[in-house]
Amino acid sequence: MEVSFELNGEPVTVAVEPYVSLLDMLRDEMGVKSVKKGCEQGECGACTLLLDGAPVTSCLVLAPQVEGRYVTTIEGLEKNSLMIDLREAFIENGAIQCGFCTPGTLISAYALLRDNPNPSMDEVKRGIEGNICRCTGYTKIIEAILDAAERIAPE
Amino acid sequence: MRPLPKFKYHAPKTLAEAVQLMDTLEYAKPVIGGTDLVPLLREAACTPSHIVDLNNVAELNYVREQDGFICIGATATHSQVAASELMRKAPAVVDAVSRIGSPQVRNRGSVTGNLCNASPAADSAPPLLVYDAEAKIVSSGETAIVPLPELFAGPKINCLEPNELVTEIRFPVPPESSSSSFKRIGRRKAFTLSVVSAAAYVEMEGGVCTEARVAFGSVAETPIRAPGVEELLAGKELDSQTISEAAEAAKQGVSPVTDVRGTAEYRRDMCGVLLRRALYTAVGRLS
Repeated sequence: MEVSFELNGEPVTVAVEPYVSLLDMLRDEMGVKSVKKGCEQGECGACTLLLDGAPVTSCLVLAPQVEGRYVTTIEGLEKNSLMIDLREAFIENGAIQCGFCTPGTLISAYALLRDNPNPSMDEVKRGIEGNICRCTGYTKIIEAILDAAERIAPE
Repeated sequence: MRPLPKFKYHAPKTLAEAVQLMDTLEYAKPVIGGTDLVPLLREAACTPSHIVDLNNVAELNYVREQDGFICIGATATHSQVAASELMRKAPAVVDAVSRIGSPQVRNRGSVTGNLCNASPAADSAPPLLVYDAEAKIVSSGETAIVPLPELFAGPKINCLEPNELVTEIRFPVPPESSSSSFKRIGRRKAFTLSVVSAAAYVEMEGGVCTEARVAFGSVAETPIRAPGVEELLAGKELDSQTISEAAEAAKQGVSPVTDVRGTAEYRRDMCGVLLRRALYTAVGRLS
């Protein structure tokens, strides 16, 4: 079957079987490799992307379910000022080690700061509760998100 | 890694179409968020020939008040229900759905799906049980309203026939004099299944509890109400002694099992602890 949707601002049409996940369609059919394949059970958050603006795990979305909808991965936020601040804060705070969880965590952090530009530490923790990181112990990720919130704060 | 089993995909746009598909297709499963179903498909624990996606049925996406009921449409996600102004009248429901799973799960999973999955640990169940919620079940030519406890037929087993759809969960608009709370314990705080959960609902008049309803998750084959505890609370001032007695009665009244998440003894004790916390919070919300 054919699925038409908007990927990172561009209309696309893909021929895909209905029993393929959005994650597999993006990685295998469309070369979008920022979404990572971790657990395939919606537990690890490595495949997180924005579906109509809301973070979801793409391993649990069936490819045909995005018909007519908006899909955004970090590739589509490369020039977004909030994402640039987040990215730099992640690098400067040492919030990236192996990097496997980073794209998904950045998407969750992006949605958090977009909706709540001045979160408490507790709100940051809740914002990334669906993203597992086995390297950092989360401390530096939380610090980076709080740092990014300061960067976007109006003077 | 683990491919999904092959199935045909259907995306009806109206409820009538969805009902007809469920009625005519051989071994069809409805899907909303897929947060429970897709992992089952991957494990081949469920191998339907057809998937009927309800997300494009616009008439099923709502949280609204109608005829004295607060109604949650089948495709309303946890995030949608948590953000609903109307749901502030039922704080225990908001407590549960705003903390269920992870943000990714809440944005995708639905309250109706959570209930139909019929897990004893479903966090949306105890709060909806204390609000006397009902499920609207639709199949070709027939609509039935069943009390929520009837939807839960056993652990992860619902009462639905293969062609039936739950299209709405509803409960009577709670009176102004009521409040509620939901408390849970997991093995950690973030994104985890409840080891035990408790919901408490109270109606207060002049410092006296005129109606109390109590429910627990993960302590029986299905989420359950605790009528014995409710009787103990009704007609009393909810002081520390009464609440302690209720907590003790709750512990005596449940028969949980030991599993990987917790022992029976721990679960029993936590029923008392969580009920106490839920009652104090519910009463506190009224003052």
